[in-house]
Amino acid sequence: MDFDWSQEQREFRDEVVRFATTQLNDNLIENDRQSVFNHDGWKKCAEFGVQGLPVPEEYGGLGCDALTTVGVLEQLGYACRDNGLIFSINAHLWTVAMPLVAFGTEQQKQRYLPGLCGGRLIGGNAMTEPDSGSDAYSLRTTAQKRGGRYLLSGSKTYVTNGPMADVLVVFATVDPAKGPQGVTAFLVEKDAPGLTVGRKLDKMGLRTAPMAELFLDKCETPEQNRLGEEGAGSALFTHAMNWERGCILASAVGSMQRLLEICIRYAKERKQFGQPIGKFQLVADKIVNMKIRVETARHMLYHGAWLRGGGKTAVMEAAMTKLHIAESWVRSCEDAIQIHGGYGYLTEHELERELRDAIGSRIYSGTSEIQRTIIAALLGL
Amino acid sequence: MKILVAFKAVSDPDGWAPGVPASDATRIINPFDAIAIEEAMRFRERGDASSVVAVTIGAPRVEEQVRTSMAMGVDRAVRIDDDRPIDPYVVSRLLAAMVGREQPAIVLMGKQAIDDDSSQTGQMLAALLGWPQATFVSKIELGENRSHAHCTRETDAGLEVVSVRLPAVITTDLRLNEPRYVSLAGLIRARRKPIECLTCDDLGVDVQPMTTLLSTEPLAARPPGTMVDSVEQLMSKLCDEVNVL
Repeated sequence: MDFDWSQEQREFRDEVVRFATTQLNDNLIENDRQSVFNHDGWKKCAEFGVQGLPVPEEYGGLGCDALTTVGVLEQLGYACRDNGLIFSINAHLWTVAMPLVAFGTEQQKQRYLPGLCGGRLIGGNAMTEPDSGSDAYSLRTTAQKRGGRYLLSGSKTYVTNGPMADVLVVFATVDPAKGPQGVTAFLVEKDAPGLTVGRKLDKMGLRTAPMAELFLDKCETPEQNRLGEEGAGSALFTHAMNWERGCILASAVGSMQRLLEICIRYAKERKQFGQPIGKFQLVADKIVNMKIRVETARHMLYHGAWLRGGGKTAVMEAAMTKLHIAESWVRSCEDAIQIHGGYGYLTEHELERELRDAIGSRIYSGTSEIQRTIIAALLGL
Repeated sequence: MKILVAFKAVSDPDGWAPGVPASDATRIINPFDAIAIEEAMRFRERGDASSVVAVTIGAPRVEEQVRTSMAMGVDRAVRIDDDRPIDPYVVSRLLAAMVGREQPAIVLMGKQAIDDDSSQTGQMLAALLGWPQATFVSKIELGENRSHAHCTRETDAGLEVVSVRLPAVITTDLRLNEPRYVSLAGLIRARRKPIECLTCDDLGVDVQPMTTLLSTEPLAARPPGTMVDSVEQLMSKLCDEVNVL
């Protein structure tokens, strides 16, 4: 068992910290307040190589394995404090680019992947509907085949990147009677006739990752834009979710490491009652818990990615990783605020934003309760 | 037109902590040299240079910085394999030998390295080659036919513009440019390129430093300054307490 990074992986991890520290942290408080997406940061990340990390080189990516990919995303989360930008990139990677790699036709890959990797195209994913969330396959959006095209009708919500996406993976059923077996995925371009992007949804955290509703009114989608076979949507969604759950919180591990370092520094500097507050056991205890959380989260993240790199599906590991990191991240954010006292509660210290961003991780990509349900089912319960 | 850009791997001032041995410190390309590499890349991107060759001196561990220079886009990189203590005179003789091999029109390097702050290598190299030199340069413009370079130098008296006939040695100052960050794709490309390795013997240079480093000590801690509330208070301190006015 080898826990060390290779020289190449170390270089990647070092460079992403250098890049993100200087290029991605401007105007964070104001962008959060105004819910502004960092287009410039998105382009810089693409030029740097983030959006192409796990995509094969022949389609404009870097062809990195799962472990290298999460290792770089972890360091991105360590050095870039714009969790919204990173969330947008994650949604784009795991629910658009990687499903295209796994399920796309050669023509679809050639058409979309170079742009998705290079920063010219932004991807979005439209699964959730007003009446279907955790019970995803009960969706009501329909796809009727008419000659060489499909007409998509229905509405979608919580579409990450919806307001600025160039291409959306939209899930619809070709036959509601078939249940999950009728669910089919489509690549819908932003200017498709019948597609309307609704209002931008205001939200608690991840405010720099715009989210929108979508309305499909007989939205015309050519047959060659069907992603995978008819009825393969649920397999595609499961595949995408498995990757997403295993990797989406890599950046949260980096964020937890950053918070830990900030708290250690503060606990050594801040003096009360004549000594650094880190000498008080109640403060030290919180920091020890933060350290244990980040270490366990990191090991679960790496192990899951290592299994995936070896060709295993690692469904239970993905669910456990997602659940553990999300819950740990929220608690470490709370601890970081508590350790900083009144300073931690102020917007300018950027810890309260981190907590607001972290809370979303308990909900997106399957709630913590859904992850527990998956784990319980796989344990035979 | 070929550019030879020389750089030094130095300890990262942001990655160093008290008690960490220099050999364990994170290393980076000397920031002034990174500016020289960036300028060379811009020359090539504008079509003013046809190729850029980077050169450094050090043990195999500096190859990470060599790869960084390749990831920034230099066409070729040469590492002169030597880990002995060397001074600017030895470095400039090794670089002069490299100039003999590569025949560049411009040698670019930082005005100084941030570890020893010697600021001598570029000047000595120009003297050894008998070439013109422009040091502390914050702007470079090529003249017609690329026969001259108009260089703006930052001096204590202000900005000085000198015209140097090419080939020449140019050393770069902080405000010349902001070096690009290295992309992951650049790092992957760099991994696939070979690093040429030469020895001092290959270059026919006998390494006999003329200076010897005796010791290195941290600076004594300075007493903290005091904040004053008003100009009147400042004047009173300057006149009455420290007696400088």
